[in-house]
Amino acid sequence: MLGVPLLREGTLIGVMGLARPVVKPFSTKQIELAATFADQAVIAIENVRLFSEVQTRTEELARSVEELRALGEVSQAVNSTLDLETVLTTIVAKAVQLSGTEAGAIYTFDEKTEKFELSSTSGMDAALIAAIRERDIRIGTPGIGQAAANRAPVQIPDVRNEPSELLDVVVRAGFRALLCIPLLGANRIVGALVVRRRTPGEFPQSTVDLLETFADQSVLAIQNARLFREIEEKGRQLQEASRHKSQFLANMSHELRTPLNAILGYTELILDSIYGEPTDKMRTVLERLESNGRHLLGLINDVLDLSKIEAGQLALSLDDYSLSDVVHGVVSAVEPLAAEKRLAFKAEVSSDLPTGHGDGRRLSQVLLNLVGNAIKFTDKGEVAIRSWAANGAFTVAVCDTGPGIAVADQAKIFEEFQQADSSITRKKGGTGLGLSIAKRIIEMHGGRLWVESEPGKGSTFYFTLPMRVEAQAGPS
Amino acid sequence: MSKRILVIEDQEDNRQILRDLLTNADFEVIEAEDGEAGLAAAAAHRPDLILMDIQLPILDGYEATRRLKANAALRTIPVIVVTSYALGGDADKARAAGCDAYISKPYSPRQLLAKVREYLSTSVPTR
Repeated sequence: MLGVPLLREGTLIGVMGLARPVVKPFSTKQIELAATFADQAVIAIENVRLFSEVQTRTEELARSVEELRALGEVSQAVNSTLDLETVLTTIVAKAVQLSGTEAGAIYTFDEKTEKFELSSTSGMDAALIAAIRERDIRIGTPGIGQAAANRAPVQIPDVRNEPSELLDVVVRAGFRALLCIPLLGANRIVGALVVRRRTPGEFPQSTVDLLETFADQSVLAIQNARLFREIEEKGRQLQEASRHKSQFLANMSHELRTPLNAILGYTELILDSIYGEPTDKMRTVLERLESNGRHLLGLINDVLDLSKIEAGQLALSLDDYSLSDVVHGVVSAVEPLAAEKRLAFKAEVSSDLPTGHGDGRRLSQVLLNLVGNAIKFTDKGEVAIRSWAANGAFTVAVCDTGPGIAVADQAKIFEEFQQADSSITRKKGGTGLGLSIAKRIIEMHGGRLWVESEPGKGSTFYFTLPMRVEAQAGPS
Repeated sequence: MSKRILVIEDQEDNRQILRDLLTNADFEVIEAEDGEAGLAAAAAHRPDLILMDIQLPILDGYEATRRLKANAALRTIPVIVVTSYALGGDADKARAAGCDAYISKPYSPRQLLAKVREYLSTSVPTR
């Protein structure tokens, strides 16, 4: 008998034995031949071993790639859609596929009822879903309840060995092995993920690890959806509150104005000597009464305008208008004010402006506000209006030689009840609402209103809007 | 002969202001406090001009104006509708109802008087 070791790089991997019935030593040549065969055998064995190793590695790699792809799909689903149903269904389907099981489900935990509710399923028929829905699953219930109580995965290699009311349902549906992973938030139980197999047996640690990753993704998805719902609800409540506020302001303004109309009306009648000739002293007081009443009326109107804009109730009355008429109308209204302050006042309007389509009355209101402000804040020098048309849009500029506005204050002046310097409100009057309203009216025309200014160098307010506005833009 | 103006207005203060203003300007003023009474007064007194408020009890100003303009005997009487600033689209609704002119609240009595005079000088006399 001849024994030849099978050596791979000096390591024994086997022995080749040759035997013959004849008693006779093997010749050196025979031994060499056997050694050569042994070497060939080593190569053959090594080839097979390498081949199967490559195959195993390839399979492992393929599985890893598959797992990675599935995880990628899951996290994409978690991040791209806020539809919880879609996300959880994707997760369950992938969990079942990658764990080599036939069915699975995600349960969410309802903190009010302290029960798990079936949320998304894969590979479960309607009868099983209905049967599970009938059962109360709480923390501690065999299977998922237990996993939640332990805050750790629970596997049941053979359900038949652990009879329980809930698990019997699963057994009747033909399942033998279960793997339950709890869905855990920072300090709350969010739900559970379960996969079910028709054959009994342990689940390998790699499957448990994989499903734990899926569970984490599910938690994220569920929490995202919950936060999204909460934000949506808060947003809705805010909108409702804001609408109530605007409606209240609109009603209030209307109610406030009715008595004010009477006050102003009577005052004017007295000033017009309808009830007899008032004395000069009385006349002076009445004029003050009238100007204060008008200021109050202006405030109320501005609040009403703003609340209507906010409530989305301010409808532009779209019609053809002439920008030149708008400018000249404003000029004739404010010319006396400029003259009173000895300011140079001019208006340059291109002679060939096309007819515009928009709310001419509201545009007058905007221009009147800008020019009124310019005159109010300019103590010497000039106020000028320029307007032109280009590229389907009108632009109007109101330029003054007033004190100017620091860059830091330029955004503030468009906010409600803000003037660059609040002491100005008392000195110069004004509601602090005009610019805010003007800006919104221009925006409703699909245009833009802005200021360019530097302290000491005057200010220029610009607005630009499409020549033809066919539909009102929504409130900004 | 002074011209006769029918004021249809439910608020006492507004009525008094219009009464004082118009009487002082040598007009004869008749008053009604709701839309229905206004229509009856128009038929009974044949005014030269009607000042119509919008928010009126029983019959609002739009409907009262529509009925006046549908009545062959009364349709030539100029109707000036007094619209409320608060309610958007009032001017359009007033025009649709067939009024001859509208003035929006808050109005200055002086401006209102000017408008009344304008319509009385251009209207076809009904008497």
